[in-house]
Amino acid sequence: MPTILGELAGIEAKSKRYMGLHVLAKIVIPLSISLSLPFAKEPPQALALVAVSAAACVAAGIPLSAVKKYVAVIVSMSAFIVLAFSLFTYIPGRVLYEATLWKVQAEKGVFEWKIAVTDASLSYSAAFIFRIFAMILSATLLLASVTDRDLVWGFFSLRMPFGVCVAASLFFRGIHLFVSDFYTIREAMSARGVDFERTPLAKRFMLYANALTPLLSLMITRSYEVSMALESRGIAPGSRSASGYHLYRMRRSDYAAVAAGIALTLAFVAWGG
Amino acid sequence: MHIVTFAFATAISYVLAVVSSLIFPVLGAPGVSALYVAAAIYVPLGIWMGLWGCMAGYISCFFLGLYPSGYSLVQSFVWSWADFIEAFVPALIYRALKADLDFTVKRPRAAKLLPLFVSSGSIFLLLGIAIQVLWGATYGEPFTTIYAAMVYIGTALAAVGIILGLLAGNARTWMAQILSIIGAGLCSGLWGAGTLTIFNFPPPLPAELFWPVFIGWVLGDFIVLSVISTALLVALTPVFKRTGLLVRGWWA
Repeated sequence: MPTILGELAGIEAKSKRYMGLHVLAKIVIPLSISLSLPFAKEPPQALALVAVSAAACVAAGIPLSAVKKYVAVIVSMSAFIVLAFSLFTYIPGRVLYEATLWKVQAEKGVFEWKIAVTDASLSYSAAFIFRIFAMILSATLLLASVTDRDLVWGFFSLRMPFGVCVAASLFFRGIHLFVSDFYTIREAMSARGVDFERTPLAKRFMLYANALTPLLSLMITRSYEVSMALESRGIAPGSRSASGYHLYRMRRSDYAAVAAGIALTLAFVAWGG
Repeated sequence: MHIVTFAFATAISYVLAVVSSLIFPVLGAPGVSALYVAAAIYVPLGIWMGLWGCMAGYISCFFLGLYPSGYSLVQSFVWSWADFIEAFVPALIYRALKADLDFTVKRPRAAKLLPLFVSSGSIFLLLGIAIQVLWGATYGEPFTTIYAAMVYIGTALAAVGIILGLLAGNARTWMAQILSIIGAGLCSGLWGAGTLTIFNFPPPLPAELFWPVFIGWVLGDFIVLSVISTALLVALTPVFKRTGLLVRGWWA
């Protein structure tokens, strides 16, 4: 069963031991990294969290090259953060570079817009950028190790109503159905003479926006068919499963993983709190 | 049928959210798009199906936060309420005004011009307020003059848009739609940009970036909500009424 990130980007956790953990344990580990983030305020703390996240990914068998999928996010956010600390605000410290971009004599003083790079602004930027890496690695760890079946079984084991389990399952199936419906509608538009290759970007955007109406109509038709199928099998949204085909219990290794996650958060609270 | 429609709508919103944030990104703020097309799905869904639409917005945004935006579980959990709010505000406005979902267009030209005037008017107003808050209050002239000019132009354009809206068809319905576009854009922008820059666990971006992210967010929402979302409401409201998917209250 492919994981969520496996279906979206082809990245999966390879470690059988990690994949064998209970879904709760697989959620608690990235959650604990996520909860530790606010306490990683200084660059060394943020760097330590990056190391922990990277180690967790490696232990789960997720290649660190998975970060490549987020390269646009990392580059754009890092650039934006550095700009914020040098262009939009002045962080007091030892000035490394300063240049005035725009100067206006205003009614109540002189308005100056300048680039100011100080050692403190670089330190702030480093902490933010390291946190981005930790944040991305924790999201990768979660999505590359949890399958949609994990979620549905997890909901079943929590005795959640069928409505919740079915909705979770349909959400993941719906992604593929929507993409295939979109291609069908796109081909229908092409058959009617629309040339997507030669259409200017703005007009192409409007064409795609117009495709939303038939897509939503198809969604309603499909919802009707699926809900009829569910009803014919006697599945009501509020009914709960008395038993299941799959036993989904926490084992010793799951408790150990949860305890490690809690310990990590507590350690960062103590260090950066 | 509502649960199934909600699940499928969430899936569609998620795919469109990913596509919009990759094709029209607000640089430096992953997950924020200058043309967030997903809003055109879950905002009308909130009007048609109440809290089901709001939840579709929340869950699609939650997954968008995780991939491809790369926010952590907790950051994404907090941030995603922006899309819940974006669907909730129009649903609330329609229900509070007891507006009938009658989008019959009596004057098509007025209906076509309405989004243009309301969006451009609101954008002028927003930029004017941003200039006054950031610089006008501290430095005075010439920023206060720029602020005043933008507010006057923005108000005039928005007023023309509102008049056109009243002429387009059922006055109460179209007034609710205009208020929904403005309310949804501003409220979700405040929460969305705020949780990315000012309050989160921790905010992924510095507080100095609030205004660029907020303006990018609101501009994108105004365009999408006024153009695509309004068109979908006009085209698909009869279908939702016919299939029994329309929810009068908040749940079904």
